[in-house]
Amino acid sequence: MTANSLPLAVHCAGITKAYGSGDTKVQALRGVDLDVVAGELLMLVGPSGCGKTTLISIIAGILDQDAGQCLLFGEDIVGFAPKERVLYRGRNIGFVFQSFNLIPTLTAAENVAIPLLINGMAMPGAIEHADARLAEVGLAGRERSLPTQLSGGQQQRVAIARALVHNPKLVVCDEPTSALDHETGFKVMETLKQLAVGHDRALVIVTHDARIFSFADRIAHMDDGKIVHIDVPSPKAGAATP
Amino acid sequence: MLKIALKMLLGDRGKYIGIVTGIALASVLMIQQPGILISIFSRTYSFITDVALPDIWVMDPMVRFIDDSQPMLDTQLYRVRGVQGVEWAVPLYKGNTRVRMANGQLVTSNILGLDDATLIGGPAIILEGRLADLRLPDSVIIDEAGAKGRLAKPSPVPGGKPTPLKVGDSLEINDKRAVVVGIAQATATFGSQPIIYTTFTRARSYSLSERKMLSYILVKTKPEDTVSAVAGRINQATGMAARTAHEFKTMTLEYFRKNTSILTNFGFVVVVGFIVGAAVTGQIFYNFTLDNLRYFAVFKAMGATDRMLQGMILLQALLVGFVGFGLGAGVTGLFAALTQGSTGLAMTLNWQLLVGSSIAVAIIVLFAALISVRKVMQLEPAVVFK
Repeated sequence: MTANSLPLAVHCAGITKAYGSGDTKVQALRGVDLDVVAGELLMLVGPSGCGKTTLISIIAGILDQDAGQCLLFGEDIVGFAPKERVLYRGRNIGFVFQSFNLIPTLTAAENVAIPLLINGMAMPGAIEHADARLAEVGLAGRERSLPTQLSGGQQQRVAIARALVHNPKLVVCDEPTSALDHETGFKVMETLKQLAVGHDRALVIVTHDARIFSFADRIAHMDDGKIVHIDVPSPKAGAATP
Repeated sequence: MLKIALKMLLGDRGKYIGIVTGIALASVLMIQQPGILISIFSRTYSFITDVALPDIWVMDPMVRFIDDSQPMLDTQLYRVRGVQGVEWAVPLYKGNTRVRMANGQLVTSNILGLDDATLIGGPAIILEGRLADLRLPDSVIIDEAGAKGRLAKPSPVPGGKPTPLKVGDSLEINDKRAVVVGIAQATATFGSQPIIYTTFTRARSYSLSERKMLSYILVKTKPEDTVSAVAGRINQATGMAARTAHEFKTMTLEYFRKNTSILTNFGFVVVVGFIVGAAVTGQIFYNFTLDNLRYFAVFKAMGATDRMLQGMILLQALLVGFVGFGLGAGVTGLFAALTQGSTGLAMTLNWQLLVGSSIAVAIIVLFAALISVRKVMQLEPAVVFK
C-alpha cells in the first residue's frame, strides 16, 4: 500500500506541544509532520517520553497542539466549537486503550453499545448492533458477560468491538497488546487488522511491542518529540506468528 | 446513557448502600426530630384545641400561656355576658389538684371545672360513659391516658401491672371522694399529666384553698358580629384580655418557644443531621465519582457532551436521594405509627414536614452532585491515555 494512492485520513504539519511553563516546561512535540492515509495501519513507536501519546491525543482530538495543524479527513477540528468538536469525535473516532477501560458493572454488550448511546441511539438498537460486533470479534455468546468474567484477550476484543461499533473513520489504539501475552496479543492484532482497517478507515497504534510491528503498513519512529524516520516493516520486524 | 449511569451506580453495591444509608439516616434525623418538636409544641396548646366551641377566651391580662391561669372574680362573668355581641359566656376553671392513690401515692393532675349547666369545655370524644353524667354527685371524667397511666390502680402485688381506671371506680381528690363516670379522649398536655373533668361547682370543692376560681370565660359571639369586634368590646368593658383561640394558641406557643431551649436543642439536632447527611453523602458520592473518573474521561473522549455527563451524575444523585429519603421517611413513619397515642415521646408527621425534609435532602444530593459534576467538567479527556 502506498501513502499516495488513497485520501488522507490524518495530516499533521509542524505540530508542537509543551507541558508546564518556565523551569518545569517539557517540550513533548517539536514540530511533527505526519500523514496517514485511509485504509492504512500506522504504528507510532519509540522510547518512553518521546511524545507518542501526546501525538495520538492530538490526532484523536482530545488534546490541543500549541502550534501546527492537524487535519482529520481534511477538517481542522481545533477550529470547531467545543460542542461540535465533541460530537465530531463521537461520530468519527474509535478508541482502544492499554487497560481496556471497560466499565465493570456493565455487560460486554452494554460496554460495546456506549459509543452508539453517546451518538443518540436507543438502548435496544444499540445492544443489537453491539451483539453483532461482538460476534465479529469472536465473542458470540459472551454478550451478557461482565468484564470480570472475561479473559484479558476477550476484554480487549470487547474494547475493539466498542471502538468499531459506530463505524468511525479513525481508530486510535494505545498499547493495545502490552497487557496481553504474546499469543493473545497476536490474536487481538489479527482481529484489529481484519476488522478495523478498511478503505475508508485508518488505524493509528502506539506501541512498544515489537512482536506486532509486522501488522503495520508503516511504522513511524519517534524520539525526543519528533518523527525521526518512517519505514515499512520487514517480515523480521516482529513475529507475525504466535 | 442514563441507563448506563444507573447501572454504574447500582452495580457498585457497597457505595450505593453507603450513600443511600447516609441519606436515610439524615432523613430520619431531619423528619423525626422536628416531628417530635411539633408534637411537643402542639401539646402546649392542646387544651385550647380540644375546647373548640368558644370564639373568645377571656382571661386576666397577666396570663402568659394556657397553664398560667390567673383567677378572676366571678363577677367578671356577668360583666362579659352583658357585652354587646356576646351570644353566651360560661366559666371555666383550670388548675391542678392532687389525687391520692390506693397505695398512698399523690399524683398531680389537671382539673377542669366546666359550666354546670352546659358542660361547655368538656371532652369532645367520650370513650366510656356520658358527659351528662358529670351532673351526678361526686362525678368526674378522666382522660384515657391518665386512666391507663398515672391514675391506674396500683397492683396489690409489688411490681405487678396497674389496672386502668374504669367507670364506677372511685378516687380521692384533695381528701374528697370522686367517682369516675366516664373515660374521655384528650390530646396529651405538655406535662402529660392526667386530666380530670368535673363541674365548675365541684371543682371548687376539690380546690378549697383557692379563693377565686374563675380561670377563663369562654365566649361565643353572635353571628352578626365579628369576633375581633366583640373581643375589643369585652376588653374595654371589663379590662380583661379577650383572645381568639388562635391568638391564645400563638401566645402559648411563643411563651414556650421563648422560655425553654426546646427549639434550640431540637433545631441543633436537625442542623447536625443536615450537615452530617450532606458531609457523609457528599463524600461517598464524590468518592464514587472519583472511582469512575477514568470512565467519565473515556465517555468524554468518545464524544459524550458535558450536558450528557451532568445528566448522568444528576440522575445518580437523584436516585440515591429518592431511595434514601424514602427509606428514612418510611422508618420515621413506622416510628410515628408505633408511638401514636402514646403519652410519651409521640411525634407528629405531617405533609409540611415531609416536604421540608425532602427539600433538605434534595439540597444534600444536589450538593453531592455539584461537587462531582465540577470534578468531571474539569477532567481532560486526554487522561484516557495516561
